[in-house]
Amino acid sequence: MAEKKKNGKDTGTRNLVIGMILLVVLVGAGSALAKNRVNTHATMPSSVSSADGYGISFNPKATVKVDFYEDFQCPNCRNFEAVNSAYINRLVTSGKIHAVFHPMSFIGPESIATAAASACAADQGKFLEYHTALYENQGTAENSGTWNNQKLILLGHTVGIKSTKFDACVNNGNYVKWTSNIEADASSKNINSTPTVLINGKVIPPSAYLDQTAFSALFTAAGVK
Amino acid sequence: MKNSSKLTILPWLTLIGRLILGGVLLAAGYLKAKNPSAAAGSVRVYEILPTGLANSLGYALPWIEIGVGLFLVIGIWVKRAAIAGGVLMFIFIVAIGQAWARKLAINCGCFGNGGISADGKVHPAVYLTEILRDFGLTIVAGYLYRFPHGKFGLDKASEEY
Repeated sequence: MAEKKKNGKDTGTRNLVIGMILLVVLVGAGSALAKNRVNTHATMPSSVSSADGYGISFNPKATVKVDFYEDFQCPNCRNFEAVNSAYINRLVTSGKIHAVFHPMSFIGPESIATAAASACAADQGKFLEYHTALYENQGTAENSGTWNNQKLILLGHTVGIKSTKFDACVNNGNYVKWTSNIEADASSKNINSTPTVLINGKVIPPSAYLDQTAFSALFTAAGVK
Repeated sequence: MKNSSKLTILPWLTLIGRLILGGVLLAAGYLKAKNPSAAAGSVRVYEILPTGLANSLGYALPWIEIGVGLFLVIGIWVKRAAIAGGVLMFIFIVAIGQAWARKLAINCGCFGNGGISADGKVHPAVYLTEILRDFGLTIVAGYLYRFPHGKFGLDKASEEY
C-alpha cells in the first residue's frame, strides 16, 4: 500500500516535469517563430519601405540599386568599410546610386543597439557619418561594453548631431523593434554573412570586398559614372 | 561476482552518457536560442531546405535541442530522448557531410557565431572533426537506447520509455 502511494507520487512529479519541459519547448519555439516575422507596427525610420527590405534608403530614383548588409560589430564589415566607405559615401551623397543600408543585428545586444541608434542618426540626416564613425570606433570584442546608450549618444554628438531628439531616440530605443524587421527580411532573402553587397540584386564576388579597384570597377560596369 | 560488478557500472555509464549527450544538446540549444537570426542562418547555409522552411526550422531547432537535452540530463523518457538525440546527430552528420562534398563554406555552425569555416574556406580537417564528434554522440545515443536506466533518473526500471 505504502509502496503504491510512493509510486503514485513519483509518477505525479515525473508527469509534472515532462509537462514543464514540453511547455518550455513549445513556448520557446513558438515565440521564436512569432518574434522573427516582420512586424509592420514597429516604429521605423521614414526612408524605410518593405520594397527595400526595411533598409535605410538613399536616392530611391537612381537606377543602380545597391544593398549593403552589415553588422556594426562585424570585423569583416569594418575592414570592408575601411577600404570602401569613402567611395561609397561619395556615390551616395552625389546621388549616383540608390543605396539601401540594412544594419544587421545577429551578433547580439550591442548590434541591436548600434543598428537602432544608426536609424536615430538617419532621422537627423547623419546616417552616413554615424555609420562610418561606428566602424571607426568598433570594439575589439563583441558585446563587451564598447557600446551603450550613453556612448552611442556621445558618438552622435561627435559627428555633429545636436538635436536632443536623437538622444531621446537612442535612450528610448525607438527603433529596436525595427532591427528585427531588418533581420527577418534578410533571413527571407537568404543573406548568410556580413558584409554582403548586392548591385541590382546580384551579390558581388567575395574577392571584391577588400579590393577598392575591383569594388569600384563593379560600379562602373553597372553604369555608375 | 564479476557479472554483478559489470552490472553495477552500467547505470553509471548511462548517467555519464546522459550528461554528455544532454549537456551538448543543452549548450548548443542555449547558445542558438539566444540568437534566433543567427540560428536560422546556420540552417540556411547548408543549402538543403528552401529558405522559408530553413528559417522556421532554425528558430524552432534550438528549443527542440533544449527539450531533448533536459529530458536526458534529468533522466526522463531517456529511451525516447536517446532516439531523438541520435536522429538529430545523424541529421547533423548528413548536413555537414553534404556541405563538405559540395564545398560549401559554413560560416555559422552548430555553436553560435564562429562556425566551422569562419574564414570562408573549406577546411577538410574541421569538417571531419565535426562529423567525428557527432558520430561519437550518435554512439552515445545508441548506448542510451540500449541501456536507458541509469543513476539518478526518474524513469522507473520496470517500464520502458
